[in-house]
Amino acid sequence: VPKLTRRSLLQQTPISAAALSLLSAVPALAAFPRSPAAPQLSATSTGSMVVRVHNGATGEMTLLVGAREIVLRDTRLAASLIGATREAGSHS
Amino acid sequence: MSSHREAPEISKDPVADNTDVYAFVSPDNPNTVTLLANYIPLEGPAGGPNFYEFGDDVLYQIHIDNDGDGVADITYQFRFQTTLQNPDTFLYNTGPISSLDDPNWNKRQFYSLTRVRRGHETLLAEGLASPPCNIGPFSTPAYDTLAQEAIHVLPSGETVFAGQRAEGFYVDLGSVFDLADLRPFQNLHVNPMAAAPGVNGTNKLNVHTLAIQLPKSMLTHDGSNPTNRNDPRSVIGVYASASRQKARIIGPNAQVEEVGPWVQVSRLGDPLFNEVVIPLGLKDLWNTKSPSGDRQFLNHVQHPEFSRRLTEYYPGVFSHLAAYSKPRADLVAILLTGIPAGIIPGFQNFTGETLADLLRLNMAIPPATAPSILGILGGDLAGFPNGRRVVDDVFTIELRAFAGVTIPLVDPSFTPDAASSLVTDGLDPSSSITSPFLSSFPYLGIPYSGFDNPS
Repeated sequence: VPKLTRRSLLQQTPISAAALSLLSAVPALAAFPRSPAAPQLSATSTGSMVVRVHNGATGEMTLLVGAREIVLRDTRLAASLIGATREAGSHS
Repeated sequence: MSSHREAPEISKDPVADNTDVYAFVSPDNPNTVTLLANYIPLEGPAGGPNFYEFGDDVLYQIHIDNDGDGVADITYQFRFQTTLQNPDTFLYNTGPISSLDDPNWNKRQFYSLTRVRRGHETLLAEGLASPPCNIGPFSTPAYDTLAQEAIHVLPSGETVFAGQRAEGFYVDLGSVFDLADLRPFQNLHVNPMAAAPGVNGTNKLNVHTLAIQLPKSMLTHDGSNPTNRNDPRSVIGVYASASRQKARIIGPNAQVEEVGPWVQVSRLGDPLFNEVVIPLGLKDLWNTKSPSGDRQFLNHVQHPEFSRRLTEYYPGVFSHLAAYSKPRADLVAILLTGIPAGIIPGFQNFTGETLADLLRLNMAIPPATAPSILGILGGDLAGFPNGRRVVDDVFTIELRAFAGVTIPLVDPSFTPDAASSLVTDGLDPSSSITSPFLSSFPYLGIPYSGFDNPS
């Protein structure tokens, strides 16, 4: 996983508009089938989850939730996130 | 500075910036060792109304390696929580603070202490009170009493303190960063001026200190009490760090949320290591690394830029040093492995072949009855680089080492330049630190008050 610092997260994420969000707040993902490779997250998680897409082509992503970091590779999920940012545009 | 604002990124994040680490056999309780880790550089005492404090969003840690692999075997973790008694006032305190539960004190900090021993976490205490900052004679009229109340003796064997202290590191910052234009030696500088006494650039400034005092036997690998200075088990390596969670989200209504694993953003073992050994382009990287990986920085220790600069800024003064091209094995020993037995009579603090920037303390060496601020260079085996005491003049000790005075320890063919055993920034703590060191825990002086030190 490329080096990620808290300072560089916002600036360096290739799809920064999509990278920081409550994952559940992206409508396109609500019914998205979970990859078998994706780890099971606690259903009781209440804090935010940050998704960083390192490479949309390979689907390499990290999820930050609580004090954990989960690395996964899911091209369809990455594509959906990228698509959601294109559909939503940028919000201020 | 020792490690104040030493790297580009951490200089913008003072709450997480390690400034100094100390490790020494407690002079008034020699069965124990005291570990101090300072953060938040150059606190102006009058910096209200939001006076300096630890970060609730920072994980502060003091690490001890007791088996020589550069990896922490024991870690003490401090986590802070700030409470606000009255959000409807702009004041830190609304009247004199006479105790740690005084209702006049509005903004307070508490902390938990966790010990991690070889991966096993134990919560030792929580809700431990920190003292307020030293505001002035009306707000904090009996500051020392407040600070004493904030010394906590834990059932687990540790005594702890976390709060503001007077800066104990002394150095002539103004001259050092004016291209080593050291006032007592500036007549020899490439830009010569009349020699003058040094000026302590950190005097009348404060820091925030984490302090632990604990029995030596709680620090050794096998729980033994270190009494034999030749026994490798008597030596520990110490460093401190600060970590933040990977991502920070600034939400509406001034809400801030942090998420993700803790990432180390600052560390410190030996004073000045990141400051003057590591080049600008690597300093922030160095801060994120474990000492166990310091081999990647070996070249900067073996061929230090600081030594080369001394020969440039003092032309002809360090001619022997200028001609010396071998890797600096003396600095590697002092900073990365500890000094093996057989080099300095009666002394070793060698931790093995692992190259790691650690403050190495031979706990079997008793406190000195008459400490030399030059530590081992002054013939005092209880001082830096055998750990570090608050009184040690670490800047001058390292300056002289970089100037070549320690090369003969490993290379008898080298004759140091005459100036290498004399060069100094010209400071003595007895005259350059206004708030004196204490003779007991936590040893660093009473912090300077804002009223008495307004600028």
